[in-house]
Amino acid sequence: MSASLGTLLTVPFERPYLTRALIELLLLGGVAGIVGVFVLLRRLAFLADALTHTVFPGVVIGFLVSGQHGIFPGALVIGCLTATLFTGLAATRRVAEDATLAILLTGFFAVGVVLVSRRSSYTSDLTAFLFGRVLTVSDGDIVTTAVVTGAVVVLLAALRKELLLVAFDPQAAQAAGYRVIALDLALNLSIALVVVAAVRAVGTVLVIALIVVPAAAARLLSDRLLVVTVLAAVFGMASGWIGLLVSYQVSVDHGIRLATGATVVLVLVAGYLLALAATAARARSRRTAPDALAGSATRPALAGEATGPAAPSAPEAPARAAPRGPVR
Amino acid sequence: MSPSSATGADALVLADATVAYGRVAALERVSGRVPAGRTVALIGPNGAGKSTLIKAILGLVPVVSGAITVLGQAPAKARREVGYVPQADTLDADFPVSVAQVVLMGRYRRIGWVRRPGAEDRAVAAAALDTVGLAHRAKERFGTLSGGQRQRVLLARAIAASPRLLLLDEPFNGVDAVSQDALLAALAKLTAGGTAVVISTHDLALAHLACDDVCLLNRHQFAFGPPAATLTPELLRATYGGAAVELGAHGVLVARP
Repeated sequence: MSASLGTLLTVPFERPYLTRALIELLLLGGVAGIVGVFVLLRRLAFLADALTHTVFPGVVIGFLVSGQHGIFPGALVIGCLTATLFTGLAATRRVAEDATLAILLTGFFAVGVVLVSRRSSYTSDLTAFLFGRVLTVSDGDIVTTAVVTGAVVVLLAALRKELLLVAFDPQAAQAAGYRVIALDLALNLSIALVVVAAVRAVGTVLVIALIVVPAAAARLLSDRLLVVTVLAAVFGMASGWIGLLVSYQVSVDHGIRLATGATVVLVLVAGYLLALAATAARARSRRTAPDALAGSATRPALAGEATGPAAPSAPEAPARAAPRGPVR
Repeated sequence: MSPSSATGADALVLADATVAYGRVAALERVSGRVPAGRTVALIGPNGAGKSTLIKAILGLVPVVSGAITVLGQAPAKARREVGYVPQADTLDADFPVSVAQVVLMGRYRRIGWVRRPGAEDRAVAAAALDTVGLAHRAKERFGTLSGGQRQRVLLARAIAASPRLLLLDEPFNGVDAVSQDALLAALAKLTAGGTAVVISTHDLALAHLACDDVCLLNRHQFAFGPPAATLTPELLRATYGGAAVELGAHGVLVARP
């Protein structure tokens, strides 16, 4: 059993294009999972979503100017611009005006669509931009992704204390003399970099799942930040691997073409549902053993219950960074 | 009282300070001094400008006229030696962070960028948590504690930074008696060590009990001085406007917020 499973997991990757796709997805899954933890803590799913919209015209313009090689720089310029603008807007507390933002984002997106629609290969180009083409990534693409991954991981690791403080208690961070806007910018640019790096492989639509879902699932399984981060990275990488494998096997064995990016996202969602089921089962077993409530690993859903009447002011935690449906 | 009269022993000097958001003055002409090791209560109704004054002392809201001097410096320059304790219920109870991690945050400025907390930082944080009587809860998730316990953890976080001036925003709101006693004991220990403390509160009895001076505020300053001289029915009525002050049980003055 284990031998056959081992073969199943590794043999397809003897094909070079699959190996490249695997490396790309492992890098993206890992870094997106890690960035996703900060997105979750800061409730920035909206920003990640916004980036996928605004990056789209950058992708198209880059492609029109210099083909496949133009996609990354085009997306990079627009992604960093969006992240910077968003940080500035957030600092003036005007982000709450989400109607304005929605108009801006869909406007950006429409510019991309209009530009693509002028090409003769309209449908296939659009599909590639929206859903990515991980099976055609080149060695150069992998190097780019590796550089982005390395830069983002180093940046987040270096700033982890300060980013944690700002996420937990921005007022105290400001009171302690930290420049919160600079830390926000560093995080927002990291998110933009990951979105941009993932665009070629999984497309602008699916990248938000890669960022949001692993962290959300990991958060269900642990209360410890370090554990959540490691789990999110592992989950992101594993989903990339399994998704790629499933889409390949199904197309080889059954002749059904499955889009790789979409398959990866389906694996992510399935994993999230599993984590949710595990949490629900644990909650039920805990309810039958009430004295376990005193334990340290009290689940978030039970927080209000566990603190009891001594904390009348404890606010019911609002819905977390659930994957927001893109304004489309 | 001019700004130049500030001496080294004053942790905080307010010299006819007017604080404004943009062009709108939030708080006008506040004067007073808080020597090292003393405690001052900021008292006034909601919207009186108590939080604004605390933000101004942190250098987060500009002083448009007069001056605020913190530890002999401009507020923004003194931040590293000023501790700030926000209201615990403004924080996300679902945040995946342990009590020990929260207290350790008080050391971040001293640890500096990139570096990891060392053994000394952990020891100081553990001692601070012990000061508020919660050493046994160190490994639990912050959000699982009661409101009063969370408030104590935030005080421990401020203590871990060894501040010379400590600012607390409504620390006793919704806090049970046990936690209130623990907070007061920890504050007494701090002031004994020379830290000056500023507390914004609605609790007149507590101000009487735990504070050396009281600053009555409502958009401007109504009084600044010892509780016996400031917590009088006349001054409180003026501050709170009309009949909002009553004689409660045991003859204690009660302010309705």
